[in-house]
Amino acid sequence: MHTRKNHKDLTREERARFVGAVLEVKRRGVYDEFVRLHGRYFVSDGEGGQRVGHMSPSFFPWHRQYLLEFERELQKVDPSVSLPYWDWTTDQSTTSSLWGDDFLGGNGRPGDHQVMTGPFAFQGGNWPITVGVTEEKYLMRDFGRPADPVALPTPQQLARAVDDPVYDSAPWDSTATTAGFRNKLEGWTVGEKEGWHNHNRVHLWVGGQMTGGTSPNDPVFWLHHTFIDLVWARWQRKHPGAGYQPRRPLPAGDPQHGRVISLDEPMSPWNVRPSELLDHTRFYHYA
Amino acid sequence: MTTLTRRDMLRAGFTTAVVVGTSAAVAPIVLADPQARAAAEPPAPAAPSAGPGGFDEIYRGRRIQGGPTAPVRYAAARTGAAAAPAAGPGVEITIDGRPLHVMRRADGTYLSLVNHYQSFPTPLEVARAAVDEIGTAQLSTASFHHH
Repeated sequence: MHTRKNHKDLTREERARFVGAVLEVKRRGVYDEFVRLHGRYFVSDGEGGQRVGHMSPSFFPWHRQYLLEFERELQKVDPSVSLPYWDWTTDQSTTSSLWGDDFLGGNGRPGDHQVMTGPFAFQGGNWPITVGVTEEKYLMRDFGRPADPVALPTPQQLARAVDDPVYDSAPWDSTATTAGFRNKLEGWTVGEKEGWHNHNRVHLWVGGQMTGGTSPNDPVFWLHHTFIDLVWARWQRKHPGAGYQPRRPLPAGDPQHGRVISLDEPMSPWNVRPSELLDHTRFYHYA
Repeated sequence: MTTLTRRDMLRAGFTTAVVVGTSAAVAPIVLADPQARAAAEPPAPAAPSAGPGGFDEIYRGRRIQGGPTAPVRYAAARTGAAAAPAAGPGVEITIDGRPLHVMRRADGTYLSLVNHYQSFPTPLEVARAAVDEIGTAQLSTASFHHH
């Protein structure tokens, strides 16, 4: 049993061990398989097919398993490592230790947005982007997207999602009619002027690869989603009477039949059911 | 290094879109299932072309083209996992001839592989947003999204 911590509470040695394990998973070629897998399972709700990872109720458990799989790869390299998290509601400075030279490195430079500092900068030779949306081989970031500014979510914006006592509801997708915690936290927006909330907004704020279909190329992806995972646990604690929805497979007449995962249906590609993942303390704790 | 300011230069130089016409023979297609396309599509113009709902313009120095396509078993072809009949995004888009993978949301908006956490009301807007994001970079032709 391991403990996941806020990255701000890691010791210097823990930071170094995390970075070292990530680089080694990359060197082994395993990291890029995670990048590909995330892209393959991004199915949008305006198209047919099963949506297991995004725009659907299993957004939380699918990513929980995805993170567990990645964390296990890190632990094969260094058993002392666990995934740290980034609380982007309070840790918003571009000079946060998150972006330090000994951790994730900093913002991209003006112009081509290439990250020039830290262990994941291209010139260090350890972090070539091999699964990319474009042919550029370097990690990119564009904090706050100055050309079309976007701010990190506030504590109030996060609370608006966490305060919702309903996990998810029909039509179980990304549209405004889908009420509940999951859709508010995932952050697709319809008909709201400011647009894009919480989870999605953080992807936009970081910029570079994080805005696209190969977002796990930026190691901050894991710290972002570990916080999302923690927020799910907080929601569970706040609403002990509520739970994952839908509880049963949707009937054949439902437009979402076969397209979303109910509580005891297996999630591809691991054949793990949401019901097996509801209690994270079976696997790890949050400090 | 010249790439350092490429987007700034582009943004200064190409602020207006220029329509360049509709007749050009163009570019590869985004779809993964040529059989389904051949069966479903009328034998009309090479796609994507600026037919109804289509566009063909220079935006910030990049040629963006888009046009409607027939529905195909799109998501199924991509993930190899889906069971239900799948409709595609209904549109195919290229940037300088290279396919931009586009998806449709249930509210009718569009997102792309470049802008994966935000969607746009029209194919033209999703194409322009992709150019805004990638600057002068070429889209990768390696596909991980559909095999």
